[in-house]
Amino acid sequence: MIERAGHLPALAVGEVEWRELDFAAWGESVQVSVPVLGAAQARALAEHVRENARAYLKTLPVAQIVATIDKAIARLLDRDDPWRRKADAILPIVTGYDRETVRLGLSGYLRTFRAPQLQRFLAEDFAHPGILDAFQPAMKGGFTRAYGPELLLHIWAGNVPGLSLWSLISGLLVKAGTIGKVASGEPLLAGWFAQILAEIDPKLGECLAIVWWQGGDVESEGIWLAEADTIVAYGGNEALTAIRDRAPVTARFLPHGHKIGFGAISAAALDTRRAGPLARLVAHDVIRYEQQGCYSPQMLFVARGGRVSPREFAELVSQELARFAHTHPRRALSVAEASGVSAWRSTEEMRAFDAPGRVVLGDAGDPWSVVCVETAEALAPSALYRTLKVVAVDSLDDVVPLVAPFRPFLQSAAVAAPPRELFAIAERLGAAGVTRICAFGQMTAPEAGWHNDGRFNLLDLVTITEIESTAEHAADGFAGYVD
Amino acid sequence: MKFRDRTILVTGASRGIGAAIAKAFAAEGGLVFVNYRSSEAAAEAVVEACRAAGGQAVAIAADVTDPEAVEAMVARIAEEAGRLDVVVNNAFAPYVFDPDNRVRFWETPWASYQAQIDGALKATYTVCQAVLPLMRQRGRGAIVNMATDLVARPSIAYHDYTTAKAALIGFSRNLATELGPLGIRVNCVAPGLVWPTDASRGTREAVKDMLIAQTPLGRIATPDDVTGPVLFLASDWSGFVTGQTLHVDGGLVMA
Repeated sequence: MIERAGHLPALAVGEVEWRELDFAAWGESVQVSVPVLGAAQARALAEHVRENARAYLKTLPVAQIVATIDKAIARLLDRDDPWRRKADAILPIVTGYDRETVRLGLSGYLRTFRAPQLQRFLAEDFAHPGILDAFQPAMKGGFTRAYGPELLLHIWAGNVPGLSLWSLISGLLVKAGTIGKVASGEPLLAGWFAQILAEIDPKLGECLAIVWWQGGDVESEGIWLAEADTIVAYGGNEALTAIRDRAPVTARFLPHGHKIGFGAISAAALDTRRAGPLARLVAHDVIRYEQQGCYSPQMLFVARGGRVSPREFAELVSQELARFAHTHPRRALSVAEASGVSAWRSTEEMRAFDAPGRVVLGDAGDPWSVVCVETAEALAPSALYRTLKVVAVDSLDDVVPLVAPFRPFLQSAAVAAPPRELFAIAERLGAAGVTRICAFGQMTAPEAGWHNDGRFNLLDLVTITEIESTAEHAADGFAGYVD
Repeated sequence: MKFRDRTILVTGASRGIGAAIAKAFAAEGGLVFVNYRSSEAAAEAVVEACRAAGGQAVAIAADVTDPEAVEAMVARIAEEAGRLDVVVNNAFAPYVFDPDNRVRFWETPWASYQAQIDGALKATYTVCQAVLPLMRQRGRGAIVNMATDLVARPSIAYHDYTTAKAALIGFSRNLATELGPLGIRVNCVAPGLVWPTDASRGTREAVKDMLIAQTPLGRIATPDDVTGPVLFLASDWSGFVTGQTLHVDGGLVMA
């Protein structure tokens, strides 16, 4: 199977050099051709996108952009649509996530971008979304209008299917000419989405391009960085620092670095009836995308004092992971991934030898690993691929000092607690730098309009032009009808 | 070799059905702990037979109704094997199956019930409590409890014995519900009359003929007939089976 990635308006397939990326999983393989553009091609493409966006996308009412995206999403949500069938067939091979995870994950995620949800995105950031179409009266007097970037460059990372759509769609909503650089781990969905948009509205298809360059290819990257006025980049802090250092100082740089998600469970949630279902939700968050998402849990803090102890809860989570190993198997790990997991496990086993409060559950051969520790331990990344440390704490209050030192890495936290406790811990977690608190089972499915990394999806992209009230009043003086 | 690298404890394994079960696990490559109460020589003979069958075996003494003795036995298993995959609760209180001279209900004192409940239920309870931490840490395990088809069909009313085994089946179902979420399965094997064993050696031909006449497979069970179902319920082949009672009586009971 050969699949072509990207979306290159105004460039014929034959004019472009292609490189093949090989993927194999679940007994199948697929070869993905990614475009390698020359410097002149890249500059011409940037110009093409910028010009078309200026001439067309920026003239569209935001409601029409919403309607077009809604149509494209509807196609991807339709199980019988050829694009969706292609996604269901190929993404499991490319990403290694099992078919059901991809199918369920995509359907849940894509629903975030239907028209009503897109309106939520807009309403979250703009009191009056019409501000994207025309000047609107401002509370302080005068008028304001929001303008999206001329050329917005997205640099995506990771292999969670469709993660790119979040920022891609945000950019389109603010009418940005868009260049998206796909990650080698999942180079397809963004390009497919662009092609669907082009099928629905060919002129819109000229306003965005989906490209690729080898990560670390400074030369190619530099060309795009120089063209863009706004850059949204995902990845590790090292990669982001490198991009920031090369981006023009006049460009707006919006980085999304690696994060470490965690969960916190109150004693009140741990009775013998509810602990089981809760453990299932925890395990669900762990297996979904193999903890690769920025929002995935890597550590779980469990309060003592409930009917079910932290140790017993760890056991329940371990067993739920055993069950998910049947229904949503983990893909075969590469040698490096597998040795990372087994190093993590054997380190924990070594430490468990002389620490009575430390237990490594399950067998070394299990495709998951749960460790339970009775002494407080600071937040730390797991080995991913279904590895989780459960840390017993006396109460949720004890969680804050364990995560607070890692502010740059904080983002999502799932909390299971009664309302009073939820708000009390939320107050303190928020102060420590956590930007999203959700229910277990929802960690990998942020709601529509989520403020990624605590920032504004749309507002961060725009610049505001103000007609101050002085200009408005002065203009009155120049009117022909002035008395 | 379905049980290679697996550790199995069989209680009351120095003779009869227990000995046959121990040997069957050994023949499938398992490390078998042959529990006995007092018949050391018989237990050692079973160990020898296990080794001859291709497995490893260790004789281990403990009165399974004595919590301290059971704790010590499990501690030794943990030390020697480091794990426990399967427990077969086979030991039971001495009982003579004699249809000709059986004790009728109005002759049965409560003490007889208590003795059988201790032998069937308390012993199983005690062993299960002791082995649970070993199984829970690894999140897996299989427990097989030996019951009887007399619970479903009391062809002959052995009140105290059968009532205790009925309690054992109820116990096993509850345990299956509790331990399923922890990855541990609990099932029962319920044989009909098994001949010859020490307990059934005196069974008269007329009784056997009566049972045979009503048994679709037309004979009485031997100890070896019981081993297959026990191994099945102890193995991954029954990985999605728990809380069940498997009748091994040639079809006398169908349920």
